[in-house]
Amino acid sequence: MEEEGDAKPKKAGPRQCCVCNQRRAALKRPKTLEQICRECFYRVFEEEIHQVIVENQLFKPGERIAIGASGGKDSTVLAYVLSELNRRNNYGLDLFLLSVDEGITGYRDDSLETVKRNEIQYGLPLKVVSYKDLYGWTMDEMVKMIGLKNNCTFCGVFRRQALDRGAALLKVDKLATGHNADDIAETVLLNILRGDIARLSRCTAITTGEDGPIPRCKPFKYTYEKEIVMYAYFKRLDYFSTECIYSPNAYRGFAREFIKDLERIRPRAILDIIKSGEDFRISTSTKMPEQGTCERCGYISSQKWCKACVLLEGLNRGLPKLGIGRSRGLNQENSKDVKKGNGARSIESKQCGSLDF
Amino acid sequence: MQLTLEFGGGLELLCNSVKIHNVNVEPQDIELQGGTKKLIMKDLLTWIRGNLIKERPEMFMKGDTVRPGVLVLVNDCDWELSGQLNTTLEEKDVVVFISTLHGG
Amino acid sequence: MDLDKKPNLTMTNKKGSKALRPNSSLLAIEAELCGAFNMACNGSDSGCRSNCYRNRDEEDEEVAAVPSPETKPVANGNNQGLCIKCKANQPMSFAGRRTDDDARFCGDCFRSNLFGKFRLAVTSNAMICPTDNVLVAFSGGASSRVALQFVHEMQHKAQKNFDASRDRSLPVFGVGVAFIDESSIFTVPEDEVTKGIEDIRLIVSSLTPPTKELHVVPIESLYSSDSNDGSDRLKKLLDAVCDATGKEDLLVYLRMLSLQKIASENGYNRLVLGSCTSRIACHVLTATVKVRTFFQQGHGYSLPADIQYVDSRWGVPVVLPLRDCLIQELNMLCHLDGLKTVELNKNPSSSINGLVSSFVTLLQEENPSRECTIVRTAGKLTPFHFNRIPEINDSNVPLATQRRQKRYNLKPTESISSESFCPICNSPLSKSDLLSFKNVESCDTNSVLFSAACCSSCRFQILPKDPSSVGDFYSLLPQPVVARAKCGSADNYSLLREQIKDCILSDSEDET
Repeated sequence: MEEEGDAKPKKAGPRQCCVCNQRRAALKRPKTLEQICRECFYRVFEEEIHQVIVENQLFKPGERIAIGASGGKDSTVLAYVLSELNRRNNYGLDLFLLSVDEGITGYRDDSLETVKRNEIQYGLPLKVVSYKDLYGWTMDEMVKMIGLKNNCTFCGVFRRQALDRGAALLKVDKLATGHNADDIAETVLLNILRGDIARLSRCTAITTGEDGPIPRCKPFKYTYEKEIVMYAYFKRLDYFSTECIYSPNAYRGFAREFIKDLERIRPRAILDIIKSGEDFRISTSTKMPEQGTCERCGYISSQKWCKACVLLEGLNRGLPKLGIGRSRGLNQENSKDVKKGNGARSIESKQCGSLDF
Repeated sequence: MQLTLEFGGGLELLCNSVKIHNVNVEPQDIELQGGTKKLIMKDLLTWIRGNLIKERPEMFMKGDTVRPGVLVLVNDCDWELSGQLNTTLEEKDVVVFISTLHGG
Repeated sequence: MDLDKKPNLTMTNKKGSKALRPNSSLLAIEAELCGAFNMACNGSDSGCRSNCYRNRDEEDEEVAAVPSPETKPVANGNNQGLCIKCKANQPMSFAGRRTDDDARFCGDCFRSNLFGKFRLAVTSNAMICPTDNVLVAFSGGASSRVALQFVHEMQHKAQKNFDASRDRSLPVFGVGVAFIDESSIFTVPEDEVTKGIEDIRLIVSSLTPPTKELHVVPIESLYSSDSNDGSDRLKKLLDAVCDATGKEDLLVYLRMLSLQKIASENGYNRLVLGSCTSRIACHVLTATVKVRTFFQQGHGYSLPADIQYVDSRWGVPVVLPLRDCLIQELNMLCHLDGLKTVELNKNPSSSINGLVSSFVTLLQEENPSRECTIVRTAGKLTPFHFNRIPEINDSNVPLATQRRQKRYNLKPTESISSESFCPICNSPLSKSDLLSFKNVESCDTNSVLFSAACCSSCRFQILPKDPSSVGDFYSLLPQPVVARAKCGSADNYSLLREQIKDCILSDSEDET
C-alpha cells in the first residue's frame, strides 16, 4: 500500500530484495509485505515449511509418508518441496505419491499424466487407486446414473476413503496433503457460515485423524496460495490446472472470492482467520460423534455403515438418493448448497477440489 | 508495441486454450488513461478484455483490474512491486497472468 | 432448527393462534413492565393470565396498526393466498427485498411478529424495568428507527396502563434519544446536516406521549468542552490511523463513548442500540478476520462479549433488543409504516467492514437463514459475566423485578470473568495478553503503558506502527479513553510497571 505513492516504471528503479540487498526483487510476500528476490524467496519459502514441519513434529525419522497428489499446483509443489527438504535436512522419510483416479475422462486422465511425470521428475514412487477398482464404478458411470446433482458429494466421500485405502496399501504412516493457508481460512469461514462447530473445531488442526489408521497432515497450513503459485511458476514446476468437467464453476464460490478480496485489503487476514478458527476450537466443547468402524468394510464410521458404503449400496441397487440429504442439520444444508451449486453460484469453492478434507 | 502475453493456471481456457499470445498492441488503438503516450497495465487489461478473452470475462477481471486471485507478473516481476495498474509497459515486455483459483 | 430462535413464529405455525405464548413468567414480566396487571385483570379473579395476554396482544395491534397503504393483497396460488399466521388476510406483496417468512405474513401479522421478537428480547433479558431511564441511540438508519419506534410503543402502552391503573404503583420508564453528529469528520454539506437534524427532531417530537428528550451531540464533544479544538484533535487522531478498517473501528468506539457520556451525564441507566441480526452477523465475521483480542490460554476470544443481548461492560449497560431481527425485516417495517429514516454519515467503505458487509448481504440473498446461522454459531461461544444486567439490590425496585433478574441472568459458572479491558475497543483481555509486550524504548511511560494495555487487534490496526509516534497519538486521545486506560485497569498498570522494570533489568543483565 505504502509503495503505491512512488510507483516508478519498473526498469528505471529496480527494487532490491530486502533480504540480500543485491538482486532485483521479484515478488511481494503477502505474509510479511517484504519485497524479495527469487533466490531468497526459494530459501525463505522452503525454510518456513521446514520450520512448520519441525515445530509441529509432523514427521518422525524413518516414517513412510504418502503425498496426496492430484497433479494440481498445491500437491505438485508439496511433492517437490518435501522431497527437497527430506534430502537436504535428512528427515529420513520414505516419500510416495498417492493419486486417486476418479475415472473422469478429459479431466483426471490428463492430470494423472502430470502426476506420472512428477513421479519421474522427483523420483518418488507413485501409487494410483481408482474408483473403478475400489468401488466398481468410475465417476463417469456414476454421473450417468445420478446426474449432475450431488455428484460432488459422491466424489468427495469416495475420494476421502480412496486416499485412506491407498495409504493403507502403501503401508504409510501418514498422509500429507497440499491444503494451503487460503484453503484453511476458507474452511474456517464456511464452517462459521454453516454453524458447523464440530468441523470448525477440527479444520484448523495441522494433523488430523491421529486416533485413526492413517493420520493426515498439512505442511502448507501457513503457506499462502500466492506464494505456492509463484514458487511453481518461478521453478517452472509441471502442474495441471483445469476445472473438473462435472463441476465447471466450482471455483466461483463466494467464500473464496471473499478471502481473495480480503487478502487484497489486508494480506495477514488469512492467517488471522486461521488463528480465530483455532480459538474457536479451544473455546467450544462440542461433543464429537463417537468413532466406530463400518460393519461392512471396516472403515472408520460413526454410523453402522460408513458413508461410502451407504452411497455405494444406493448405486448398486439403483437408488442413488440413498444417503443423500440425511436428517442432520449440516448435511441438509450441505445438500442444499450442492443443489444450488449447478449453474448458480455457491458459497464454497472446492466441492471438487482434488483432495478435500 | 510487441508484447508477449501468457495465461496460466486455467486462465488459458478463457482464450481458446492458447497459453502464449504474441500480440501487437498499438497505443493509439485504445484510449490511454492519464493522457500520456505510455501504455500502462490498465490499458492492456482493457485491450485484453476486448481482444483476447473469448468467454466469461468475469473470471479474469473484476472492476477495472484483474480478479483477486489472479497473479500478474511483468517480465517475471510481481506487479505489486511495479505499481500494479500503473505499471508502464515497453516494447517486447512479457506479461504473465496466472490464476490461483483452480483446484490443486 | 430455528425453534429457539423464533419461538413466536413456530408456535403460531403450530397452533395458528394469534397470541404469542411464552411461559407464564414472561407474561408476568411483560405485565409488570407495562403495568398491565393492574388494568387488564380488573374484574376477573382467576385464570386471567392468558386472557390478559390476549387482550394485550390485541392492544398491540391497535397501537401498531398504523394504516399501511403499501400493503397490497396478492393472489398467490402456491401459498393458498392467505397469511400463514392469521389465515384471514392476504399476505403482503412488497416491491423491495423480502425474506421467505415475510412473504407469507399479512402486514399486521408481520408487524406483530417483529414487535414480538423485540418484546421477547426485552422481557427475557430484563433489559428495561419500570424504574429505568432508557437512552435510545438513533443514527437515522432503519434499525435504530425501529428500535426507537418499538421502545416508544412499549412506553406508550405503559403510560396508558399507568393512567388507567388505580394505585399507580408502577412507574413508567423514561425514554430519551441520542443522535451523534459526526459532520465534523465527514464532509457533508452543512445544509444537509441541518436538514437531517431537523428531520430527526421532527421524528422524535412526533413520538408522544410521553415526550422524549433529544440529545444532539457532536462527536468531538468527547474532548472537554472548554477547548474549541476538539474537532481538530479528533481529525488529527483519525488521520494518525493509517489502516482504513482501524480508522472506522476507532470511530465506532468513540461513538460508543459519546453515547455513554450522554447517558451518564443525563441520568440514563440503559443504552438501547438498534443492532440487528444482520449487523451482528457482520460483526462475527469481521471479528474472525481481525482476531479481536483472543485469550491465549484457552478461553476463546472476546467475540462472545459483543454479540449478546446485554453488555454491561460499559458504565451504562448496553442492550440489543433487535438482536433477532433481520435488516430486511426492519427495512420492510419502515417501508410499511412509513417510518422516516435519515441518511447521514454515509460513506463508501473500502475497509474490511465494508467488504464483510457486502459478503454477508450476498450470502443472505443466497440463503435467507444464513445470518441467523452465523450469529448462532458465534452464540455457542461462552459469554462473559458482564453479558447481563447487573443485579439490583435496591429496596425501591419491586421485588418481582429483582426475582426476574435473578431468574434470567446467566449463572456465574456459565460465563467467563475478566477484569481488564482494552482501553480503545473495550475488549476483555487476559493476563497473558497484557504480558505480551517487550522492548520498551520510549521514556514516555504513559503512552507506553497505554499501548501495552491495548488488545492485539487495536495495536495492529489503530496504534501507529512506529513506536515513537505512539506518544503523539496518545496525546490526541480524548479524555474518556485515557481515563479508562488509567483507572479501568489500575491493577494491570502496576503489573505492567513491574513488567517494564523486569524488561529493563533483564536487558541490562544481558548486556553485561
